[in-house]
Amino acid sequence: MSDESYISIQNISKHFGSVKACDEVTFDIRQGEFFALLGPSGCGKTTLLRMLAGFEIPTYGEIYIDGQPMSLIPPYKRPVNMVFQSYAIFPHLTVAENIAFGLRKDKLPKAELDKKVDEALEMIALPGYGHRGADELSGGQRQRVALARALIKKPKVLLLDEPLGALDKKLREQMQLELRDLQREVGITFVFVTHDQEEALTMSDRIAVMAEGRTLEIEAPAPLYERPKTAFCADFLGTMNFFEGSIDNIGDGEAAIKTGDMGTMVSRGPNMDFSSGNDVLAAIRPENIEIAFDKPASGSFVEGKVRASAFLGDRAHVYVNVKGRKDPVLTAMQNLGGAASRMGDEGEHTVWLTWSEESVILLPRH
Amino acid sequence: MGKMRLGPLGIYTVLYLAFLYIPVLFIPLFSFNDSIYIAFPLKGFTLQHYVEMVNREPLINALFNSLKVGAVVSVVSTIFGMLAAKAFTKYRLPGTNALTAFISIPLVIPLIILGISLLTVLKAVDVPLSLFTIGLSHTVICVPFSMFVLISRLEGFDKSMEEAAQDLGETPWMTFWRVTFPLAMPGIIASLLLCFTISFDEFILAFFLGSDEPTLPLYMWSQLRFPAKLPSVLALGAVIFITSFIVVCFAEWVRRRGVQTQTGSAI
Repeated sequence: MSDESYISIQNISKHFGSVKACDEVTFDIRQGEFFALLGPSGCGKTTLLRMLAGFEIPTYGEIYIDGQPMSLIPPYKRPVNMVFQSYAIFPHLTVAENIAFGLRKDKLPKAELDKKVDEALEMIALPGYGHRGADELSGGQRQRVALARALIKKPKVLLLDEPLGALDKKLREQMQLELRDLQREVGITFVFVTHDQEEALTMSDRIAVMAEGRTLEIEAPAPLYERPKTAFCADFLGTMNFFEGSIDNIGDGEAAIKTGDMGTMVSRGPNMDFSSGNDVLAAIRPENIEIAFDKPASGSFVEGKVRASAFLGDRAHVYVNVKGRKDPVLTAMQNLGGAASRMGDEGEHTVWLTWSEESVILLPRH
Repeated sequence: MGKMRLGPLGIYTVLYLAFLYIPVLFIPLFSFNDSIYIAFPLKGFTLQHYVEMVNREPLINALFNSLKVGAVVSVVSTIFGMLAAKAFTKYRLPGTNALTAFISIPLVIPLIILGISLLTVLKAVDVPLSLFTIGLSHTVICVPFSMFVLISRLEGFDKSMEEAAQDLGETPWMTFWRVTFPLAMPGIIASLLLCFTISFDEFILAFFLGSDEPTLPLYMWSQLRFPAKLPSVLALGAVIFITSFIVVCFAEWVRRRGVQTQTGSAI
């Protein structure tokens, strides 16, 4: 065991009948890390979290936490605690009784127990809420109580199942930052499950992207977003324009790609380990494509007509039709000085799309 | 609300309620009537039948027999019902439907058939008839009721409550006592009251499986032959009627409060 592999998931598989919810998953989580399991519903992320908690037994494989194999340890003896998606606040107990629930076996004197509960209430910014009933709490408050109830046990790992899913947007954004701060403060390893890419990008140190029971990529948010290695991750995190093609020429950190609908594209981006003739996807993020009203003098560009624009306030998504291509190219522009609101309507402008060759990411095509 | 109009459905409702309740209301009415004959016109007000009731030892004995059997049956049935409900809600057992159907068979078998078959079996294995055998037969018919009441209660609350308790360090046994049991409490109370009521006024099984110690329904039935003793039976009937009314109201109140906490805890 080292700090690098505080949690070690080795060859974990979970089959429900003929369904492989988790399929030979292997990776490590570091001590003190805020780690996200991200993926669409049914990708196996919740099953994996429940195996960490001990509510599901792996079909095969082993999970080590702090060097200890977990497969024979029941949930109530594991050094982990969980914040449930529904929060699972006990309705027949008060807030204080909920928070103190896991301390029964410690047999603390009353004064000390009260002190601990008060400290926990302080930590979640709900001082004086101890005697309230569970049904008097709002969604955000329930979540805080669920957090306090788990953290008071001082677990080695805190598991969070879609922790912000039940909250409205404003509260969710606020709680993202609070959870992040709280995790740094207590220094406990957090593993959380989410299907919300923004949530994963905002909060985590590293993200494991899962699909169909497997982990595709495990990376820190920025490299995962900027230099994805699979088309699935490129598409699942944020939005992406994909252009199908094959490598014409590659070498020296530069590749020429023959595409069907955009002519020859040049990439000087990441992932250059392809060879001539390979089928690839050339991918460009919408925010890396600029719209110009005059024909650029040099660089990569293509002519198009605005098909539609979605005004989002701080920015706009502009869909541009390019000759020879069925799907419009999506670009994102900041609404600086009202630029986005002047984009106009369908077919009004002939525009030029330009991008830097560094922003063209090559991805394998299957 | 506008003015109440009595349409055809309104008339039907009034007739229905009258048919349901007027005969029942005759019991308290005649229990205060100063005559041993149950007939109009009323003769005058008296509490004499009530005094007679309290002083009639066999009647009081029968009442206590019924209370005893009812109490034991409701507790035992609720325990069995809870075990079955827990099994059906926790595990997706193969053949769950077949099993539930099998357990609920006593609900659909005519009681007279059940009575005869139980009598045959008990005689075959030489178990003497007593309050115990009555209680046994009542448990057979009460368990399915209890099970259904408790299944709907257990299905009503979030499964992750029990997982949360285990996650916080409690064994499955302690999880049951600290979480499942208190959350199921409204269902448990409803089951206890329901089973008690079923046992308390059950006649057919008690008739087949009873001995010389009668339960209250058996005793009342035996007294119908003696007109002079009927008014005190009426008095007792009135007391039971009022008591059940209060108990039913209480049970409904508990049930509603349970539903409220449940919806209150939903996210």
